[in-house]
Amino acid sequence: MESLDEDARLMLRYRDGDADAFLALYSRHKGPLYRYVLRQVRNAGAAADVFQEVWSRLVATRARYEARAKFATYLFHIAHNCIMDFFRRDLRLRRDARSDEAEPQFAEPEVPEYQRPDGIAEFAEQQSALLAALSSLPQEQREAFLLHEETGLTIEEIARVTDVGLETAKSRLRYAIRKLKKSLIAAHAPGSQDLRTARELKAAQLNAST
Amino acid sequence: MHPPDELEEYLRGDSALSRQYRKESAPAPPHALDRRILKLASGAQAKPPWLAPLAFAASVLLSVALVLAIVFGPQNPKRDEDAPRLLRIAAHSDVLPAASPNRKLQIYSSDPLRAHSPSAWLADIAALRRAGRNREADAEFRRFRSVYPDYSSGDIPIRP
Repeated sequence: MESLDEDARLMLRYRDGDADAFLALYSRHKGPLYRYVLRQVRNAGAAADVFQEVWSRLVATRARYEARAKFATYLFHIAHNCIMDFFRRDLRLRRDARSDEAEPQFAEPEVPEYQRPDGIAEFAEQQSALLAALSSLPQEQREAFLLHEETGLTIEEIARVTDVGLETAKSRLRYAIRKLKKSLIAAHAPGSQDLRTARELKAAQLNAST
Repeated sequence: MHPPDELEEYLRGDSALSRQYRKESAPAPPHALDRRILKLASGAQAKPPWLAPLAFAASVLLSVALVLAIVFGPQNPKRDEDAPRLLRIAAHSDVLPAASPNRKLQIYSSDPLRAHSPSAWLADIAALRRAGRNREADAEFRRFRSVYPDYSSGDIPIRP
């Protein structure tokens, strides 16, 4: 609880004009926030954009900040909203790209690499087995896991950050850890010590099921 | 049915899964991104947060005041003698002011009924005549006659 108070105090000091307080807040939260964003959007370029957007929103709305809840809940709620906005934009771009493909008379639009499914798959393949398994989780489950691992948020706080009920948040986290545990077991099963990539993990799971 | 302690065990924070996750690489934001965000935060701090709404309110107030002043403010009626005054001064000093061609055109071609009283108009024509601008004086006199056919020019030297 001391850390909660300290973060909130820093944010209040920043709100009241102390630039050094922001530096302290940023140093504390930049790592967990960056990984939370990166492992959700699964592309470094897009992650940098979203990460910057989160801090920009925090700066822009600082005058309205009130220390009602844990600061991490406040910060990661902004991040959750930015990521949701990113997914909506990304979906719209992909839809536009698909509809343009249906009309061959127009030139093919330039779609960023991170918006291509093959790009996402490639990103996942560069990860260890656990991160690859995390990457293949449904977004909501991945988010619940990351919020707990990166920030230590409780289920109640995860529910508040992600705007869902307590049971939903609990269920998402439960499914996430179950799937990740399975992937760890598969990766460390005898004869599979060298499994390092998502492709190999998938192949192992396929073999296990047949 | 889920095993009852699976989630609770995980939430206690010492599960194999958490340990494994903590062993993974922990990427951090690039330094360039750090610098950009810190600059953004300190730049915003230079401007107090209440300044933007205040500036907006001030500009709205100013715009409304300007519109009200234009719509409801006192109107200055245009005086009839405003246009010929320039030439009347010239008539008395015998020197034609160095008006631009556009200004001259505006003076001579304005609606005679609104801009000229007959005597002032004749004085203007006489001034043109004295300045040696007979062609313009003739044209102006013809216009004068079309408006005031019977008005006596008296002693004013309007003819060459």
